[in-house]
Amino acid sequence: MGSSGDDAGLVARTLAGDRAAFGALVERHAGQARRVPRALLGDPDDADDAAQDGFLSALVKLGQYDARRPFGPWLMRIVANAATDRRRRRNVRRVEPLDTSLVGGGPRPDAAAVRNELGDRLRAALAELPERRRKAVVLFDVEGYSHAEIAGILGIPEGTVRSEVFHARRRLRTLLADFKEPIG
Amino acid sequence: MTEQPSFDHRPDPELGAALWAALEPKDDHAAFAARVLAQYDHALDRSSVAMFDVLASWFRPGMVAAAAALVLGILLGRTVFQSPDPTSIDAAMAPVEGPGLAALVTAQDPPDASVVFTSLVEP
Repeated sequence: MGSSGDDAGLVARTLAGDRAAFGALVERHAGQARRVPRALLGDPDDADDAAQDGFLSALVKLGQYDARRPFGPWLMRIVANAATDRRRRRNVRRVEPLDTSLVGGGPRPDAAAVRNELGDRLRAALAELPERRRKAVVLFDVEGYSHAEIAGILGIPEGTVRSEVFHARRRLRTLLADFKEPIG
Repeated sequence: MTEQPSFDHRPDPELGAALWAALEPKDDHAAFAARVLAQYDHALDRSSVAMFDVLASWFRPGMVAAAAALVLGILLGRTVFQSPDPTSIDAAMAPVEGPGLAALVTAQDPPDASVVFTSLVEP
């Protein structure tokens, strides 16, 4: 993730009509902007559509961005809302389809397969969490935002963020612990 | 309550790495950025086309409305200007042959303003 100073420069150039600057801004923040919707929507194509919606929406609102503040949280708030909107439009309360062979604990030929299985299970476990909890834990443990920043992104009190992260971690850590022994 | 939440202020690297691996897209982000830029270009093109579409869609109803307003105006104008001529000062002042001053008072249509002024200037 680039510095906020770099981001401010790219934002200024984008506002001046520099298409390449907008492209650089997108590429710089694409990682987190694609991962967070994945936690929410599950389907990678839907998630990328949501991330794209978020970037284009951010472009429209770019004049409202305060360059004295970090760009990442501002962008992530828009992307997270875009993902929520897309989820609502999809109008499916979708729990990620969980392959029964994964639940059944089938054969595990090697560590790579186990890691893949862990990934599948983590995505499935995320899908079972409430929407806000998913966002909170991914923003905290994957993207490295502080509780205060997440509170700003999600528009909820900081204490609620702590609670959401705690409950999400409890569920996910249990899952992770089940996989530690076979991997180790 | 058997369990009190013990909030940890630090990210969990192990869980974070596992989640990162589960959520990280397989393709590179440059391809995604190119896709967003293509959509950006497409949106720009579409917005300019849409503007002309909107103007074009307004043109025909606008022309019909203007024509209807013109016809209505002509009909209204003809109705107004076809009303009888106001009583003239000559007719009003004629002592014997014309209707006389009573014509000014009893006429259904208002006289020209010139009639009133003339009657004041030349009693």
